[in-house]
Amino acid sequence: MEREESKSNIRNTHGISKRTVLFGVIPIVVIGAMIILLLNSPGILFQSSVKPLPEISIEKVEFSDRGVVAFVRNTGPSNTTIAQADVNDRIYPAAVEPNKILTRLADAKVIIPFVWNTGEPYKIGITTEDGTRFEKAVKTAAPAPHPTAQQASTFAIIGTYVGIIPVMMGLVWYPFIRRLSPNKYNFFLSLTAGLLVFLGIDALLESNEIAVNALSSAFNAQILIVMVAIITFISLLYVSQRLIERATNRSKPEIQFNTGYSSNSEPDLEVSDTKSSSPTSFQRQLLVRPIAISMMIAIGIGLHNFGEGLAIGAAVLLGEVALSSFLILGFTLHNTTEGLAIVAPMAKSRRVPIKKLVMMGLIAGGPTIIGTWIGGFLYSPIASVIFLSIGAGAIFQVVYSIGSWMYQTNGSRGLLNNHWIIIGFAFGMLIMYLTGLLT
Amino acid sequence: MSYSRIVVLFGIATSIVFFAISTMLFSRSSLSEQNSSKLETFGGHTPGYPILTTTGDVIDPMNSVINPKNAVVDPMKYLREFNYGRVSTSPNGTVIRDFTLIASDQHNKEVSPGVFYNVWTFNGTIPGPTIRATEGDLVRITLINNGTKFHSLHFHGIHPAEMDGVFEGIAPGGKFTYEFTAEPFGLFLYHCHMQPLEEHIGHGLYGVYIVDPKQGRAPADEMVMLMNGYDTDFDAENNFYTVNGIPFYYMHHPIQIEKDRLIRIYLVNILEFDPLNNFHLHANLFNFYKTGTKVVPDEYTDIVSLNQGERGILEFSYKYPGKYMFHAHKTEFAEKGWEGLLLVKDDKNESINQSLNVTPTVNNTGYSKNNFSNANIVPTGGYN
Repeated sequence: MEREESKSNIRNTHGISKRTVLFGVIPIVVIGAMIILLLNSPGILFQSSVKPLPEISIEKVEFSDRGVVAFVRNTGPSNTTIAQADVNDRIYPAAVEPNKILTRLADAKVIIPFVWNTGEPYKIGITTEDGTRFEKAVKTAAPAPHPTAQQASTFAIIGTYVGIIPVMMGLVWYPFIRRLSPNKYNFFLSLTAGLLVFLGIDALLESNEIAVNALSSAFNAQILIVMVAIITFISLLYVSQRLIERATNRSKPEIQFNTGYSSNSEPDLEVSDTKSSSPTSFQRQLLVRPIAISMMIAIGIGLHNFGEGLAIGAAVLLGEVALSSFLILGFTLHNTTEGLAIVAPMAKSRRVPIKKLVMMGLIAGGPTIIGTWIGGFLYSPIASVIFLSIGAGAIFQVVYSIGSWMYQTNGSRGLLNNHWIIIGFAFGMLIMYLTGLLT
Repeated sequence: MSYSRIVVLFGIATSIVFFAISTMLFSRSSLSEQNSSKLETFGGHTPGYPILTTTGDVIDPMNSVINPKNAVVDPMKYLREFNYGRVSTSPNGTVIRDFTLIASDQHNKEVSPGVFYNVWTFNGTIPGPTIRATEGDLVRITLINNGTKFHSLHFHGIHPAEMDGVFEGIAPGGKFTYEFTAEPFGLFLYHCHMQPLEEHIGHGLYGVYIVDPKQGRAPADEMVMLMNGYDTDFDAENNFYTVNGIPFYYMHHPIQIEKDRLIRIYLVNILEFDPLNNFHLHANLFNFYKTGTKVVPDEYTDIVSLNQGERGILEFSYKYPGKYMFHAHKTEFAEKGWEGLLLVKDDKNESINQSLNVTPTVNNTGYSKNNFSNANIVPTGGYN
């Protein structure tokens, strides 16, 4: 029977029998009918007199000369109406824009004309029609930044200090890195991996904190973090492989290369290539892959710095942070190591033109500025969670690339047999931890 | 190769769906901005606070009136409404007063503008009707339980144990007549005494019970003020505080009184959760009769603090016309609804209301309707 069926499959012009099509369609039709039935006649299956509890998320509180503005979202299971607003548990008149009736997941602005004091903590409460009060605590009230040219340039300066300058300074170490012995090179590569692992975990924790504190459970934000990070990881893995593949195929065999490694797994043997006329694919990879890895690191760090910019902008907006020169200094030191992370893989490749280095620096550092703008002017917790998770996924992809690169170039010695690698990795995380203490 | 391509396609598809959903979420607010034609002003209750305009909805419990259909009580009606019962006389000459109270616990009513709460009520309102008798009268109160839970009536005052409403609950659908002599004179309260007490009292099963001295009290403009609260989200903290059932009501409907006229307030505290409540009168002092059981005042003051279940009678008159605040001096209570205004009128010709002479007059209907109608007062903002 089955064989006959498969024959009929083959006979079908599209390679699929009608019966197969039927099996494909049945579940969709049945599920679709169920959805229509449930949506159009609620209570047909479950008759309940209990009205589901409303839920309101206060996602952001802004302080301005109009008073206090709470950005709320209906994250409950059904429509709800905002009945009253309060500041520090004292009821005040307010306006809800655009509408006090919130459909599921709809948002609104609650404007409370309230004269607030800079630097004081406040609790903003929203009461729904059933009398449930939802509260958001603000540690210190500070005027919300407005998207004026002045504020934008202030953010740009902060972003430059925190993102671009430190990354560029890290890149300046490139010539120094190039002169390193293989062991020291391994040390710096694993140091980079350590730095990045720290940054990746930091991004995950940060996004988790936002997910828990600022987002309602309706968003399933914690699983979103994992999901986005994994999708980013596998997508970038694919992209980087394609990038390396293409670069490898393009690189011309005549190129002179001066690498410390070769396929014969003798790491410290100087190969003045005997096979320069027709280098193997691996040898070609030795040339171009470090640059590709560095580019991926730059992209990953760029995404991370974008997240960092979001956090800085949002912190200014939410009044959680008074930007001090000390804080900026901390971020600067912290981020200098990121430049090092970018150049480390290229130490043994052919010389990289300065233009390319600068580009990498901009890719890695520039997003900080964009991040501060978005975070400061259009803060949205869900966007922060998504961007931070993308950053984490990107960073872990880079760590994976560095790891596999070191594994291949180290040949038979393996990764964990080399104490330079272990020390470098630990040292990288430690540096991050210590410079992170400053922020 | 093809495998990784599938993975990537999957990743891309997921991200597209994801971003579609998130953009949908964030653009919804701008889509729903349609009612931009109307412009309302709000704010400005407090001097120095901004007055703003909005295209959205204004939510302002200090200035908005609840639709009487949904309101848990009409505070202006409740203020001066005394129920004397259906009056008859026994062969030995004792005055008998019959009252009927109907308990219910299934209705949702508006306790503050826009806020609906499952209220448990006597005769449909929080507070329940004010029951008034004279010392020595025989008081008979029939409780009909129209609710879904056991309820009872527990009166303060002197009466036999079986009339105390503690150990015998009235089953849903059942009824029982409580019978006792009104003694001593003073200011009391009644409430349901089924457990958990916090639940039964917190939901609103209470009212004021006044026993007048035989010789009566001096003629005055009399009113009842019952201080309560609502814990609408069941976290053992009150979300609203009121006098006479609806937060801020007398802020937009000031109580009109006459200059130099004796005012008598029967003040009862039935607040749950918070141990102490108080009453502060602006620009004046009052004689305070603790529990109303003496005819000589205990204190001459402008503030009195009452514990849970405590009460007392206040007597005062205003020397100057104008608008005066009265409120809990516990500011949290005040700013969550327990504040109001007295509007002292000077001009005698300006007929405030002829029915202000509400010295005890016997009303023979079951639930007396005092024909005091609240004068139409334009809601005013600000306490200035």
